[in-house]
Amino acid sequence: MRQRGFPLFPLVRHTLLLAWAAVTLFPIYWMVMTSFKQAAEWVTWPPRWFPHEPTLVNYVKVLTPGTSTFELGRQTLKILKPIGDSLIVSGIGSLIAVLLGSALAYSWARFGTGGRSYPYNILSIRMVPPIVIAVPFVVYFVTLRLLDTYTGLILVYLATSLPYVIWMMLAFVEEVPVELERAARVMGASRWKVLRSVVLPLTASGLVVTFLFVFILNWSELLLAMTLTNTEVSTIPIQLNKFQSANEGRDYGPQAAIGTIATLPVVVLGFLIQKHLLRGFSFGLLRK
Amino acid sequence: MAGIRLQRLGKVFGATRAVDGIDLTIPDGEFVVLVGPSGCGKTTTLNMIAGLEVPTSGDIWIGDDRVTDWEPGDRSLGMVFQSLALFPHMTVFDNIAFPLRIKRVAPAEIERRVRAVGDTVHVGHLLAKRPATLSGGEAQRVALARTLVVEPSVFLMDEPLSSLDAKLRVEMRTEIKRLHGTLRSTFVYVTHDQAEAMTMADRIVVMHQGRIQQVGRPLEVYGNPANRFVAGFFGVPAMNFVEGELHAESGGARFVAQALGLSLPGQRLGSGPAVLGVRPEHVRLVSAGESWPAAVSLIEPLGDATLVFLDYGGPSSLVAKVDAEEKLAVGNRRSFTFRRDRIVLFDAATGGRLST
Repeated sequence: MRQRGFPLFPLVRHTLLLAWAAVTLFPIYWMVMTSFKQAAEWVTWPPRWFPHEPTLVNYVKVLTPGTSTFELGRQTLKILKPIGDSLIVSGIGSLIAVLLGSALAYSWARFGTGGRSYPYNILSIRMVPPIVIAVPFVVYFVTLRLLDTYTGLILVYLATSLPYVIWMMLAFVEEVPVELERAARVMGASRWKVLRSVVLPLTASGLVVTFLFVFILNWSELLLAMTLTNTEVSTIPIQLNKFQSANEGRDYGPQAAIGTIATLPVVVLGFLIQKHLLRGFSFGLLRK
Repeated sequence: MAGIRLQRLGKVFGATRAVDGIDLTIPDGEFVVLVGPSGCGKTTTLNMIAGLEVPTSGDIWIGDDRVTDWEPGDRSLGMVFQSLALFPHMTVFDNIAFPLRIKRVAPAEIERRVRAVGDTVHVGHLLAKRPATLSGGEAQRVALARTLVVEPSVFLMDEPLSSLDAKLRVEMRTEIKRLHGTLRSTFVYVTHDQAEAMTMADRIVVMHQGRIQQVGRPLEVYGNPANRFVAGFFGVPAMNFVEGELHAESGGARFVAQALGLSLPGQRLGSGPAVLGVRPEHVRLVSAGESWPAAVSLIEPLGDATLVFLDYGGPSSLVAKVDAEEKLAVGNRRSFTFRRDRIVLFDAATGGRLST
């Protein structure tokens, strides 16, 4: 018996954690609430903790098709296209990164492709701050006519996601005992069949987790997207950033609506990752 | 049905010579056990036969085919792994059906054969389960069933019983041997456990440092070891070794060691440093004849026999395996001798066998 009587320590700990959670979650709460408020309630004093007349008008405004407008000192930003653009570049970039990266991770884990230090070299790419590569990228992209294109941004996201994918997939591939693959090969399975019937099912959860993880990263990436796009391609973080200072763009409701829409997938995917991570490692019951 | 032939087979990993050019012929239908301490090259040899490792040198023949560079799946062999390697994401049925599906056997036929082999090794009631929910013995049988279902002509087994508890291991040992009796296929079985090797093998191949030390029937290897390594590897407790000198005498030789000397009439062995080996069961407690005095320093009753540690004045004590009925107590002074016909002598420097 380590603890007797009143559990003082857990109580203190939970109080502190709750307080900290309140501090971090409050801005998000405020954003979500504001997104459902009429214009009159945005900046009232005393503040209204709940919208007294909840409305979807902010969402309707930002989600109507068309291009962004700027009138009467207020800009109305439309985000249907940015949502699409974000889905395209984050989705395709993350998908290709997962396909390529898991192949690389597998070949390194099983055949030592590229030598012992290969994964570390790859990781060092990730240690370069994005600001350092942003400007050189512009130079290259001008030459290659990739500036402000989907292909360009997809390539950039592919390159920045690959190190994460390789490192995460390395862990998942190494969880699969090599004897399973050997057993299948002795039974006559080709290398492809071994990948399909043994490796893929056992790393499927890992693939999902890895995809979600890099998708979230790419979905919220701002700096490279800002530098390498202009008018043709515009992701959600760029659009959020377009809200000007309080002087010009006091359009808090739509801004909050966009923020909420941008945050939602990140939260949902975050929970999905947790669920899959547990599943991913539950095969640890393998006899070693 | 197929025999196996290894020709100057070698495997080098970096600077390590894992298998150092071995020659071995395994006739069709024989149960051969490769045995040796870990790192002796036995598993590497097995993996090369399976095609999972590519030999650095030499050739492998299965039946009449030179299979050295064949894919593992083309060699028509079955293999049971140390970890059993059951696919955790498949049911027992799917595990056993896996090799049949690769060979594109018709579904009805798969169903029939999986059930048949499941009944043979008593896993019929487990077919719907997942490997993670099986006991050690059940998993073992499923791994066996998955190998049996394709009726391979050669069975390779890499320490398949090492994950089982002692009692189950003895049971499965018998079962595998019985299986071999029914199938009459060629079995190549790798283990570090000398008891498994002794009990299961038609022939034992003792390996050490990538080389074959001795090939022979179990009792041959036990009673007539080719060198000191083989002599020390088999037997529990291990053979007693006494270091001394050999002197040539008229009509024979004489072995002299600290507090111990015996003449070996009729043996022409030359002179020089030598090691005498005698198994505990060949050390006798006697009251007359040529013998040496010793004090009993420890007694270990095994039930069917008793181990007696004898301090005779040499650098270490000798172990004798005596009748359990023998009345003994620590501190007793007794005389002991050796069964002369079972003594073996080794060259002290090379460990090679000296006596004829």
